[in-house]
Parts: sequence; structure tokens; C-alpha cells
Amino acid sequence: MIRAVMVMNTQGKARLAKFYDFQDSRLVYKHYATLYFVLVFDSSENELAMLDLIQVFVETLDKCFKNVCELDLVFNYSKVFNDEFSLNPILTGEKIHTILDEIIFGGQVLETSSTEVMKAVEEISRLETASNSITLVPKAVSGWRNR
Amino acid sequence: MALSGMRGLSVFISDIRNCQNKEQERLRVDKELGNVRTRFKNEKGLSPYEKKKYVWKMLYIYMLGYDVDFGHMEAVSLISAPKYPEKQVGYIVTACLLNENHDFLRLAINTVRNDIIGRNETFQCLALTMVGNIGGREFAESLAPDVQKLLISSSCRPLVRKKAALCLLRLFRKNPDVVNVDGWADRMAQLLDERDLGVLTSSMSLLVALVANNHEAYWSSLPKCVKTLERLARNQDIPQEYTYYGIPSPWLQVKTMRALQYFPTIEDPNTRRALFEVLQRILMGTDVVKNVNKNNASHAVLFEALALVMHLDAEKEMMSQCVALLGKFIAVREPNIRYLGLENMSRMLLVTDVQDIIKRHQAQIITSLKDPDISIRRRALDLLYGMCDITNAKDIVEELLQYLSTAEFAMREELSLKAAILAEKFAPDLSWYVDVILQLIDKAGDFVSDDIWFRVVQFVTNNEDLQPYAAAKAREYLDKPAIHETMVKVSAYLLGEFGHLLARRPGCSPKEIFSIIHEKLPTVSSFTVSILLSTYAKILMHTQPPDPELQNQIWAIFNKYESCIDAEIQQRAVEYHAMSRKGAALMDILAEMPKFPERQSALIKKAEDTEVDTAELSAIRLRAQQQTSSALVVTDQRPANGTPSNTQLGLVKIPSMSSNVDHNLPDQDISHENGTLSIVDPQPPSADLLVDLLGPLAIEGPPSSDVQSQPNIVPGFEDAPNAAEATAIVPVGEQANSVQPIGNIAERFHALCLKDSGVLYEDPNIQIGIKAEWRAHQGRLVLFLGNKNTGPLVSVQAIILPPSYLKMELSLVPETIPPRAQVQCPLEVVNLRPSRDVAVLDFSYKFGIDMVNVKLRLPVVLNKFLQPIPVSAEEFFPQWRSLSGPPLKLQVVRGVRPMPLLDMANLLNNLRLMVCSGLDPNPNNLVASTSFYSESTRAMLCLVRIETDPADRTQLRMTVASGDPTLTFELKEFIKEQLVSIPTVSRAPTPAPPVPQPTSPVAALTDPGAMLAGLL
Repeated sequence: MIRAVMVMNTQGKARLAKFYDFQDSRLVYKHYATLYFVLVFDSSENELAMLDLIQVFVETLDKCFKNVCELDLVFNYSKVFNDEFSLNPILTGEKIHTILDEIIFGGQVLETSSTEVMKAVEEISRLETASNSITLVPKAVSGWRNR
Repeated sequence: MALSGMRGLSVFISDIRNCQNKEQERLRVDKELGNVRTRFKNEKGLSPYEKKKYVWKMLYIYMLGYDVDFGHMEAVSLISAPKYPEKQVGYIVTACLLNENHDFLRLAINTVRNDIIGRNETFQCLALTMVGNIGGREFAESLAPDVQKLLISSSCRPLVRKKAALCLLRLFRKNPDVVNVDGWADRMAQLLDERDLGVLTSSMSLLVALVANNHEAYWSSLPKCVKTLERLARNQDIPQEYTYYGIPSPWLQVKTMRALQYFPTIEDPNTRRALFEVLQRILMGTDVVKNVNKNNASHAVLFEALALVMHLDAEKEMMSQCVALLGKFIAVREPNIRYLGLENMSRMLLVTDVQDIIKRHQAQIITSLKDPDISIRRRALDLLYGMCDITNAKDIVEELLQYLSTAEFAMREELSLKAAILAEKFAPDLSWYVDVILQLIDKAGDFVSDDIWFRVVQFVTNNEDLQPYAAAKAREYLDKPAIHETMVKVSAYLLGEFGHLLARRPGCSPKEIFSIIHEKLPTVSSFTVSILLSTYAKILMHTQPPDPELQNQIWAIFNKYESCIDAEIQQRAVEYHAMSRKGAALMDILAEMPKFPERQSALIKKAEDTEVDTAELSAIRLRAQQQTSSALVVTDQRPANGTPSNTQLGLVKIPSMSSNVDHNLPDQDISHENGTLSIVDPQPPSADLLVDLLGPLAIEGPPSSDVQSQPNIVPGFEDAPNAAEATAIVPVGEQANSVQPIGNIAERFHALCLKDSGVLYEDPNIQIGIKAEWRAHQGRLVLFLGNKNTGPLVSVQAIILPPSYLKMELSLVPETIPPRAQVQCPLEVVNLRPSRDVAVLDFSYKFGIDMVNVKLRLPVVLNKFLQPIPVSAEEFFPQWRSLSGPPLKLQVVRGVRPMPLLDMANLLNNLRLMVCSGLDPNPNNLVASTSFYSESTRAMLCLVRIETDPADRTQLRMTVASGDPTLTFELKEFIKEQLVSIPTVSRAPTPAPPVPQPTSPVAALTDPGAMLAGLL
């Protein structure tokens, strides 16, 4: 099973860490721009397949955030996010955790099609929007991302 | 309102990001935690939305690595919020912050259950995710049936069902005893017919866990797996979104092949054929392409297919095809694939006879030793180590030696150890072996452990043909300007022993050898100095007729070191000096070292101990199994050294010497005749090389008193093996066993009498370990029966024959021990009354055609029921006096193993008799106290006094006192048995008759010693 998922930047600061179990084992990582994506897993998983899974995770993030970057992970960690330029105006809060939960579940691969993951995530965001629509005041926060 | 709240979170995150240092960050976090805490305290005014905001902050702080020990309640309470956003936060934060044992989780179970059985799919998903991430026992108990229902429900969407599958998997993994999977075989088979690949992937994960647990029940799923694999490999009916870089769901392919590997074999010929067709297609259809991601995906599938092929024991043709593929991979640019190629080749070595095909790629593997990536270099090293045999040893070892000079430090130790092992195992001739090791020391002295040079010395000592060559080589290395200290050690030792064989060669006169060795003296450590001193003494001895100039030089050195601060060096200097002045006496004492008994190579043992990597481990095991593969490794099969199973580890011998097979025995005799102390231990090999090599050096010049006492000892030692054998198996009976035990059973028993865990018995098939706990008069032993074979041991029987004084209960011993499995059998013991009789375990099993039956003494002996208690002088004397009535036992014991008082005190302490130092004023006496526990006596104080005679260590006087006559007698006899040398048991039953007491010193009556003496 997959023991942990970690994303850290080139300075070694963790941007996302989720543990499913606490035992050491082998790990694979992939390096994208300023981020390292690390998967820790045991001998019952295939190394290259895990590497591919990182790719799926990143591709999904990329679809969600339109060119994902480190700051997306920092602020979208929990934020209700309103992207003015996006066609589906409001994506989701808790996005990264939500996305991860749609891909890896209790240490097992749940879904490998990024299209399917996107569908699930969008559904959740619609729900959220629906329940938030009364209180939500649109606000451009793209400023955060340009910092 | 809401957004301002969430803006608060954003502000907080930016604040943290703007912190210049860790200290600022901590201050900001503390402030925020304080804020959150106050807000939570007056919860009444908190809207769910605010609650959500604070819970998020907490999670963020938690992720930064700070302890968050409050607010769990708030997080859990959000789960029951009616609106989605709050509920979602509740679930996510709960899953992150709480573990399965947290009490608050209980509060949520009902809500979670309602969400799971409710109609809202999104809520179902949230609940399943949380349960799956936490997987606690209570969740499993109350929710597993509902989750199972969701999984097979036809009305649920795939989105929910795949989560249910993995949730169930997690609950099952965590609590296999709670989740009931009886009757799931049919359901699993149905689930595998699923068209939706998402659900299928999750179901396959679930299947892997279920099959790993019990494959018997899931045979019906096997053909379905093959069908799934066919569907994927042929790309039939695979939706576009599940193809990843053109490959139909590589994860599902990998998972399916994993699941198949949990079935021991595939019996149905049709299924097998179908599967091999698919595998063939995968093996042939994969190419290395430009796109990295596509490469990864296709090779993930390919490597899994390789693993499955290996598992299924395919025909040789297919195997060679696999090796050819691997050969291709280890040459590609992509490092991940090179790495996996090498790793899989190592695995391949274990499967079948593909070694020859792998050897074709040797050149490429050697190139990988120079790979920029260290993990690849490591794999290459492992593979080279695994594939080495007699035919390619020379090439590989030479390659390793060459690589040693450039390898980074992290790898050198491993590298040199491996080179040494390979050189030893596959040496085409012994001079080559010596060359290799000396080169090794020369190139990487720092990384050559002592074991390595000890082993060379052993080989050289045991092979006469080799001695002049080794000495000459050692001499050559000494000419080098700067040599490593280990090289000084080994060449000094070799030249001391065998330097005289070179006498006629130029530059090898004793004087020249001496001076070149002596040059190194100022630079070496004290340990090496002591070796050098021995070398000098040996040189002196070999120089016949004596050369006065050399003699004076060496004497001057001895003289100088006679006042050395290091006791070891000082002792050697004094002894060698004194002996070398005696002239002829030196000849006898410093004669050549006798041959070493054969033993398992400590190197290989060490390697076995240190291996962690499974692939590597199996490679070593493989090495250990293919013993007779090389024609030149001849081991001589002396019955004295017992077991056939360690022949492959025996010493390498030159075939021409086979006429000389028995040289070991005469040698031992010679060593006795010429008066060196019994250096050759007659027991089977121990792994402690140090004792062998340094022991003799230290004893070479024993103090004169020891030399005199020798006549007493030597017969004892000669008796030893026989006596030990006789006591090894209690009722010697009909021992027609074809399987010979490993190690000395009697020795193991004696060792276990003094400690509580260890090996009781071992032979090539089984190892019986024992672990004991003692509490007063009760004990609990656990027997560990470990099957060492790849086949089961059957008709296993263990019967305890307890003596009358013990009550023993052995739990059921299973009739069959599966391959490589260990079975534990607890054994309860109650001590009824004191006795020295020993319980016997009658153990038998059958392996193949061998029926083995052994009777083993169990280490349930008197001293196990002793509890050492310290007694002060004020308590001791009144007790001694009160006990000094008739039950007091006094006896003079003769034939005691001569040992220093300190050792005797240690022995008593080991027997759980606490030595009370300072009680007896005579330093030659020992006083000990203990309490004995049995059902009849309860706790009973026992006092022991031993008076030794410094002039004659072979006899002593022992007094035992306790409140119970039987106990006194038994304890006295027991201690006596321990004190007289254990091997000479034959003497013990006829105790020496009491002799008149030596006159005790008369002293003032106030002296406690005198009081003691008076009481006696």
C-alpha cells in the first residue's frame, strides 16, 4: 500500500503531507519546477506505477489550477477560491486534499483517470458553491497568486 | 461574514509566509493558537462557519509541525453539520488530526453511519473516505456490513462503490478478525466482471488483500483476473480517459498481475495458456520510447509481467527472453529502468538456471558499476556478487578491486567485504586468493575488517603449499613506502610464522625481515605492537644458530617494552624476553601455530547478519545452496566437525593435498606434546576468530606455574569431546539418525543453564530455540520450532519426560511445520521440590525419508529457581549460625577446574548465587547467598561459602547451609557439578572422600572470618 504522500519545495519545506500508515519503506519522487512530489510505499506496489501516479496527481492539479505552481498549494490548501478567468467560476476549497482523496484512498489507488477525478472534484465544488452561494461575496484573489 | 472569516485564514497563512525565521513563525502560531482556544471556549457564540475557519487554521498549524492538542471536539462536531462545506471540513480535519484510537471518534460513529446509509452520495463519499483513512476497530465493528452493502449495491454510482471497496479493504486490513468476509469469494468474482475501470481497480486492490490472506477461497477469481488482463492488454472496451499515454490503465494491469502472484500456481491449462499469451504480448510489445511518462507506464507493466513470469516458473525459453529484455534495459538511458533492470536480474538469479544467460551481460553490468547514480552502482554490485561463480570469479573480483580505488567511501566497506567473500568462495587457486586479499588491504585498508585478515591467516596456516608464497608476498608489500596498518599486522604475522621459509631468497634473511618490520613499529597502534613483539620472538626462534647481533637488538626492544603502560604488551615483552633467554625452551613454546579447525567463514556469517536488502539476502542464500558448483572448492568431511550442511563453508583445499586430509588430528597431538597450551579447541567451530588468532599469541609464553599445571589439564581436555558427546543426548539409546545436529548439544544445554534464551538444538532441517521466564517457583518456557527447509516437516512430536520434582505442561505441538515457518509452543513449569534431575524433551519429526528423533535435556535446572539476594554482614552471621545445625553440608571438592577467583565469583553470580564481597576477610574465600523457590519449600534462604587454596586451585572446600536438608544436599551437588570441569562429568559421580581439613588460620575472635571458621 501507499504509506504517505508528500509534496515539498526545493528548500525542503513541506507543502502537503499525508500519511496513511507509519512504517518506512521505499519511495519515489518526481521533480517539477520548485516542487518535489514524493510517494512512500511498501513492496506491494510497483515503483514505476507509483511514478505514474505522481504524474496523474500533477496533471489533475494542473487541470484544476490552470498551470499549477507552488503558491496554489500554499493558498488553496483550504481557501474558497474564485478564479475570475476560469469558465467554471468557483472551484473548491480544501482542493488539494480533496483531489488527493479522490486519487488515493486509505493508501490504495482509488482512481487513475484524471478526467474522472476532475468530475468528482467539480461535483463537490458545485455542491459547495450551492451551499455557499448565499454568503459568498466574489472577490478576486488572483493577487495572491502573483506574489 | 463568511469570506472575511476565510480571509482571516489567508491572512494567517501570508503572515506565516512572511515570517523571517522559525522563531517569528512560532510566535505567530502561538498567538493564533491562543486566539483559537479562546474562541472555542465560549462556543455558544460560534457559528458553524467560524468553527470551520478555526478548524482549518488548526489543521494548517498541525501541518506546520506544531502540536495541536485541543479543538478535536470541534472538528468532530462539524461532521454532524447539515451543510456540505462544514461537514466536509469536519471529515477532512478529523481524518487528519485523529487516529483510530481516539475517543472522540466514538461520538461520530452514529453520524458517520447515517451518512453512509443515507441517500446523499456526496455525504456517503465523505464518510467512506474518513472511515477508510482512519480504519479503526470500532468503525469496523459497526460499519463494515453497511460498507459491504454499498459495494455490491447495483443502485450506487461507481463513484461511491469504488470508495466502498477501498474502505472495506482498509477495514479488513486493520481488523481482519472483525470484518466478516466469508462467502465473499462469489461476490468478488462478480465484482471482477465490472465494466467500470475505476470500480474494477478498487475491487482488484480488495482482491489482492483477500487473496493474500487466504488464496484457497478465491480460486474462482483467478480466471476473471486473467480475463481482465486480456481485456486490458488487447485494449478492448477501454474508455479513453483510462488510457494513460496510450496504455490501457497501467495501474489496473499491474494490480491484476500482483493479484495473480498470490496464487501459488495456475493449474487449469486453458487459463495458464491464456495468461502466458497475454504475458508474451506484454513482453514483446514494449519498447523504449522518447516520452518519459509513457516509458514509465509501459515498463511498470513490463516489470510486473516479468515478476509474474518468474513466479509462474515459465519454460526456459520464456525466461531467457526475459533475461534478454533485462539485458536491454540495463543499457538504456533512463536511470529508473536501469535500476529496475539490475534489481530484477538479481531476482532472476534465484529462480532458475538462467545464470549462463545473465553472464552474457556481465560486461554491461560491470559498466553499471561506474554509473553516476549510487543506487544503480549498488544494484550492480549486488548483481555481480550474486552472479559470481567459479568461472567468472577472477574477472569479477578483479573488476571489484579496480573499482575499489575509485569507489566512494560509502561503498568501500561493502565492496571490500564482498570481494573478500567472493575471492574466498570461488578462488580458482589459493595463491590468487592471497593476492586478492593483500591487494584489498593495500587499496582499502580502512575498510578491511579484522575478519578478513584473520581469514587469510587461517588459510595460510592450514595450507602448507601456500606458506612460502604468502610470506614472499607479504615481504613484497613491506617494501612499499606507506602501507596500511592492517597490512603491517598481516605481513608481520605471516613473516613471523613463515618468514624462515624464505631464508634463501635475497632480502629475506631474518635480520632483513626484522629490520623492515621494525621500521613500522613507531607508527602503529598498541594492538599491532603486540603482534610485532610476537613476530620478533618468532624470528628469534627461527634463527638457528642464533645471531647474537639480532638477539641483542630484539632483547633491547623487549627490554624497552617491559615497562610499557599497556599490560598486554608488557606481559608479552616480559614473557618473550624471559623465554628467549632460555634458548631451547623457546623452540617448543614458540613452535609454528597448529592448524585451525574448520569453521564457517566469519565473513559469510557477517554478511548474512548485515544484509537487509531482500534481493541481496536471497542472493547470499543462493550462494550458500550451490555448494558443489566449483570443482576446486574441496571440503574435507571430517566427521569430527559434524554436519554436512556446513561443508560448503569449510576451508578451501588444494586438491593435491587430499592425501593429507587427516592432518588436523596429528597436529593437535603435536601441539600437546610440544607443550604449548591446548590452543586447539576440540569443539566445533565457533565464530570468534579473534580468540583463535590472538589467544595463542597471548598464551605462547604462559607463566611457569601454568606450564607445570599442564599435566593436570591436558587429560581433561582430551576427555572433553568424548565426555561431552556422552552427555549430549541423555539416554543415548538408538541414535540411528541420518541427520546430524549442528553444534554441540551439550554445550548448548550448558549455555542455556546460565541464560534464558538461546538455541537448544539445531540440525539442517530444524532449529529449536528456547526462551524462558522465571518467577519464584514457576516458569514459562517457549519453544520456538523453526523449519529451515523449503519443504514441510511432518509427524512432529514433542513429549516431555518430566522428573518427579517438576510439573510441566506443554501446549499442543502442531503435527506439521510449514516451510520456513516458526511455531511457538509454550511450556509451563512448576517446581515442586529441590532436585538436580533434568527434564527431557523427546522430539521427533520427519523430513522426506529422514525420521529424526532426539532426546534433549531441557534447561530447567536448579539454579533457575534461585533468586539472588544480597545479605549484609549483620544479617549473614546470625543466619549462618542459625542454619549451622545438622543440615549444614561441608565437603572438600577436588578436580576443580582451575580458575581465578574472579571467574569463580562470576560463575556463582551467573548461577544466581549472589556473591557478597567483603564478608569474608580471607580474599581466597567466597561467600554467596540466594533464595530458592519451590512449592514444598517456598522461599528458602541458602548460604554458600567456598574456601579456595591459592596453592592448589584444583581443590576447594565448600559449605552450604539452608533450612532444608534435601535442598542443602542438592544445591551442594549442583554447585559442585558446575565447579568441577563440566566435560569431566565422569568424575563427578564419585566425589572425592572428605580429607582432613587444612588447619584454619587462628585469628582473633572478633574477626568475622575467625567467627566463620569457628562456626565450621
